[in-house]
Amino acid sequence: MALSAGTSAERGEEHIVRLENVQKFFGAVQGLRDINLGIGRNEIVGLIGDNGAGKSTLIKVMTGVLRPSAGRIFVRGREIDAASYSVRQAHELSIETVYQDKSLAEKQPLWRNFFAGRQIVNRFGFIDVKKERAIAREMLLSSIGFRGAGITVDSTVSQLSGGERQGIAIGRAMHFNADLIVLDEPTAALAVSEVRKVLDFVRRIKASGRACVYIEHNLAHVHEVADRLVVLDRGAIVAEISPRAMSVAELTEYLIALQH
Amino acid sequence: MMRARRRLIGAAAAAMLAGAGTALAADAPGKGVTIYMQMGGNPGDGATLARQTGAAAAATALGVDKLNSQFSAWAPETMLQQFKEALAARPSCIVIMGHPGNDAFADLVKQAVDQGIVVTDGNSPLSELQKTYGSKGFGYAGVDLYAGGTLTAQRMIEAGHLKAGDEAMVYGVFSQAERGLSEKGLADTLEKAGLKVDRLEITQEANSDPSLAVPILAAYVQSHPRLKAIGTQHGGVTGVLEEVLKKAGKKPGEITVGGIDLAPATIDGLKSGYVSVTLDQLLYLQGFMPVLQCVLTAKYKMPGLSLNTGAGVVTPETIGPLIPLIEGGYR
Amino acid sequence: MAARQLYATAQRVEGLPIILVFLVLLGLFMYTAPEVFLAPYIYTTFLSTLPPLVLLAIGLTFVIGAGEIDLSFPAVISFSGFVFAVLFKQYGLGWIAAAAGLGSGLLVGFANGLLIARVGIPSFMATLATQFFWAGMATVLSGGKSYALRGAEQSSVWKALVGRLAGAPESMAWFNDVSVQAIWTALIAAFLWFVLNRHRFGEHVLFIGDSNAVARVVGIDVEREKIRLFTLMGGLAALAAMLLTLENKNFFGNQGQGYLLTAIASVLIGGTSIFGGRATIVGTVFGCFIIGMIEAGLVATGLTGAWVRTIQGLVFLVSIVFYLWVEEPQRVRAFLARGASFRLRRDSDQAGRAEWRAGQVIGQPEADRRKR
Repeated sequence: MALSAGTSAERGEEHIVRLENVQKFFGAVQGLRDINLGIGRNEIVGLIGDNGAGKSTLIKVMTGVLRPSAGRIFVRGREIDAASYSVRQAHELSIETVYQDKSLAEKQPLWRNFFAGRQIVNRFGFIDVKKERAIAREMLLSSIGFRGAGITVDSTVSQLSGGERQGIAIGRAMHFNADLIVLDEPTAALAVSEVRKVLDFVRRIKASGRACVYIEHNLAHVHEVADRLVVLDRGAIVAEISPRAMSVAELTEYLIALQH
Repeated sequence: MMRARRRLIGAAAAAMLAGAGTALAADAPGKGVTIYMQMGGNPGDGATLARQTGAAAAATALGVDKLNSQFSAWAPETMLQQFKEALAARPSCIVIMGHPGNDAFADLVKQAVDQGIVVTDGNSPLSELQKTYGSKGFGYAGVDLYAGGTLTAQRMIEAGHLKAGDEAMVYGVFSQAERGLSEKGLADTLEKAGLKVDRLEITQEANSDPSLAVPILAAYVQSHPRLKAIGTQHGGVTGVLEEVLKKAGKKPGEITVGGIDLAPATIDGLKSGYVSVTLDQLLYLQGFMPVLQCVLTAKYKMPGLSLNTGAGVVTPETIGPLIPLIEGGYR
Repeated sequence: MAARQLYATAQRVEGLPIILVFLVLLGLFMYTAPEVFLAPYIYTTFLSTLPPLVLLAIGLTFVIGAGEIDLSFPAVISFSGFVFAVLFKQYGLGWIAAAAGLGSGLLVGFANGLLIARVGIPSFMATLATQFFWAGMATVLSGGKSYALRGAEQSSVWKALVGRLAGAPESMAWFNDVSVQAIWTALIAAFLWFVLNRHRFGEHVLFIGDSNAVARVVGIDVEREKIRLFTLMGGLAALAAMLLTLENKNFFGNQGQGYLLTAIASVLIGGTSIFGGRATIVGTVFGCFIIGMIEAGLVATGLTGAWVRTIQGLVFLVSIVFYLWVEEPQRVRAFLARGASFRLRRDSDQAGRAEWRAGQVIGQPEADRRKR
């Protein structure tokens, strides 16, 4: 069932997405266990934990890529049918995901990447190429702020640096008025200057009134921008921490202690 | 000054010699004749090489302007396509092979003849077209297919002392209209002599590349322990039968093999005794005669002539003297 | 920087490299066999023999653009050709035979799509298997026999699909030799160009070819699009089968085998990437022209059949190297740079040695000063 994507403030609901008792099984293996998590309207939630803790699985369930084995999902306070939840529906509900290396198609030009999956089409499915390119060009200059540097709407993604790619993907999500942007390890394998860019984008998400779920391995990065840290271990949420309460060093110690 | 004059005299002498040479060549029967010829298989393979040699020899001897050879890997639809390409080139003469059949060729040949192009046939007969266009030069140089198969079978029966009740297998392209008559003749004759004949169809892949038939045939032989004879009228397949029988663990002569043509592998088969009898269709003539036919009709308006090149078989006893000729591409 | 400008233009014109190769080859054949290539007949012949190849290659352009492959289309040429021929001849069914022929191809394609998208078999394996299955079915049902369609040219189906144009004056007699199938194929090619480059389906195909994972992430229903993709291929192959069968007025038991490698080669030399994500229909069409033209051109020139494969291979190599230069100039630059740096090192060695020798000649004080 499609919900209209009004601004979060109008609804007066506390959480934009809420998972209630969500479980996820892969055959006999339990990937998610008793997940109860709400994401606030205008907060940055950092999702941390060791490899295999279930971070990717959690956001895949939250954004419609995977269907939960059990549990309920609420978007803006209204329950949605978990069995039919899909990426397309998530997009309609203004939930977007930005993957580190899977958000953009390498060989395709930027203007196609902007509109992939939601092209501006006529009745027969033919794309209004001129319009898409015009909007893409505008997006490129204004919201993402690439000026000069030889990047045009026809450039292919392979010509961009890692940080620039994240910028494009995040800019795309913001352009389509996503209220919740989920970032899956956005700074992995990026150079230091690129990381700065990405963290600035993340802050911009909050500044524009949106929410963000942010998976990260690098505790220093996520500590810097998150309002709240959720710790996952073996498929379950084991702690919620405020970054103000712990320093990066203390956080590291805590996570190591978790393993024993 | 002296050098320039010497050079001028030299040039004039060369021009005169060239002129004299051309004058002699002007008498050549094939002058002004261009021919497109369908060779059939792949360049240089067993059933094609002697035809290529024969055609080239005739072209040279007669002084034909141009002989363009086409190769179709034995695929009938490719032969049709290549005929169309030949037609577009407006040669004096087009030589075809009968694999696609009378019906498929009918309209195309009519188109060619209407445009004044001579069409003649080699290796595989097109009897209906020959009847219609014989007066316009449509001849045939090849084996009478059914008779050739029959002859092969008869010699097989003699060589292997085959009798009624023996099991035999015939491996052939039964599906092709006229070309299939060869194996039909073979199979029918064996059946008439009382043998139990199993007919196997050659797939298109094996037709183009006979080595693909080896495992099929080896499997057949091993699963039929009482098999006494194998017959085929496919030149390439004849060549691989020695390998097939060795793989199946048979000794020479245990199974009587009847085939066709004199591919290098078939020569080995004859020498070792694995191949008992092979029909020699004088492929050289199948290349030579159509070129000659082209010239005779294009220049002197002679009608189409028929030449049955399936005159006899070669056996292990008679193969010896033929070997150097085969290696040279003449037989 | 003429090279850079050249490279920029090359990128903008779709299929430019292969168009150049085609023109060069054409010019070559016009020079070596003028009696054939400067007359219209060979071209009207190509217009009646190339359309099936072009249709197959266009279908493959979509399939390869999606990062998949289809090896079963030769079997569709056999199977759909048989369905059409037997209904046309045995039962005299005209347009119904055509519809059935097309339907059989769509069915084969749909089945391929299900195997690949729903069951998850890699397309190479799935279509290899279905190739044997459907070719076998054609042989079993037809008994390995061929069907002659004498008199087919009288039927409306023949006239509509492969009929010859008419009404041209004497001076343009070649016009009456042009087969209508060339026009249908051109229209289909143009339409599918728009689908590939301007339609949602085409964009989905390219994204899927780029990365299945990315396509899923942006909301493309990868399974559904793959099924459509292979169904399209099946339909185009069936159409090719009917054009071939009607043009020859004959169904041959095993027709279609020869198209497997030629169709794939046409697509690849045209510039479509085997890795998926990048496809060009213009390139494919010219690739077909080249492949179809080479053998006829070489035969007309008088070269023996043995040369055909060698030259086709050469054309293939030249095209691929050209694409490398156009698509990845940095690789070419790096290669050349390696050569330049080697020269630089060698030159600086020589300069160093010359300097030392100069020092010797000029005198000790010079050398002493340098040491300090």
